[in-house]
Amino acid sequence: MAGTDPIHQFVIYDIFELFTVGGDGTEGTGTTFAFTNSALFMVLTVATIAVFLLLSTSGKKLIPTRAQLTAELLYEFVAGMVRSSAGTAGMKFFPLVFSLFTFIFVANMFGMVPYFFTVTSHIIVTFALSMLVFLTVIIYGFVKNGPKFLKLFVPAGVPGYILPIVTPIEVISFLSRPISLSVRLFGNILAGHITLKVFTGFAVMMIGGLGALGWLGATLPVLMAIALTGLEFLVGAVQAYVFAVLTSMYLNDAIHPSH
Amino acid sequence: MTSSQDDHGQPDSARGVTHDLASRIASAKREREREDNRSARDASPEMSGLARGLRIGTEFIAAVLVGAGLGYLIDLGLGTSPWGLLILLLMGFAAGILNVIRVVAEMNAASPAPKGADLGPEAEDEERNEN
Repeated sequence: MAGTDPIHQFVIYDIFELFTVGGDGTEGTGTTFAFTNSALFMVLTVATIAVFLLLSTSGKKLIPTRAQLTAELLYEFVAGMVRSSAGTAGMKFFPLVFSLFTFIFVANMFGMVPYFFTVTSHIIVTFALSMLVFLTVIIYGFVKNGPKFLKLFVPAGVPGYILPIVTPIEVISFLSRPISLSVRLFGNILAGHITLKVFTGFAVMMIGGLGALGWLGATLPVLMAIALTGLEFLVGAVQAYVFAVLTSMYLNDAIHPSH
Repeated sequence: MTSSQDDHGQPDSARGVTHDLASRIASAKREREREDNRSARDASPEMSGLARGLRIGTEFIAAVLVGAGLGYLIDLGLGTSPWGLLILLLMGFAAGILNVIRVVAEMNAASPAPKGADLGPEAEDEERNEN
């Protein structure tokens, strides 16, 4: 039944072990770090982006080739996004937003290839990405604005006697950002991939159980799976975009803390 | 015959053509700018109703979870169980509502209502009342 198990695609296994931290040197003690299938696909994602961008921008023609045009469009797209949400001052964070966007986008697209592992379907990966954004916002906010950064939690024009109630709410709202950012990306990708697997699993089970009648019945879930595949490509792209837009909006808070 | 006509007519008609062309270029530029603005506004993160709903849902749930988690940690640290959890869960609820209000306001700003729609009092009137 491993073929139709919808969760099986998210299993992480070690490809080779790297090193062990702690423990007393015997087998099975300490924490072993290993190169997993998840790490493999992260490396593949980064390598794909790097190779594509290096190759496509190596010519630097005035009239761009197709690949160069794609790279330029990608740059313009992310640059426009950062400028519109965080202003020109936010452009110093362009490399961060661009890396996040391309990484999530390419990882999601890799996930759509059969037998490939989807990196963003594990919450620890998306949570690490969102904590990167969150800590960047906090550290840069304090470095640039000093204690004025705390104005973020004190809305302007609120009378003093309400502040003890409003400020904790603002703090919780601020702390909930990395959670909602990571859960949204992880949830969309996980749910989409499970749905896809469940529908195609129906087809496999029907053919296995009902024979000739099953082939007839299997057309319905297969049609559904085809439609869902298209939707998943859309969801993968949209979620990468949402992550990048929210990143630049949060960075905007660090640059201009009074809102 | 044709040459004499050209000598006569060209300055006038050429000026007319240039003028016409300039106004056409100007109107095309205006059109393009409007198109650019519209596409910039259309490119909001909320492309589909599903994405919109999930966005609002996660914003709300995350705040409640963070509030409850903080309250639980405070209880563990100070031994004030169950008051920290209770109070911070409710605060998380309030923060979730705040998040939802912010997201919806942002979505409304990204796609303004069509002209002539009844939107209630103007924004400036509301501001004046608050002050």
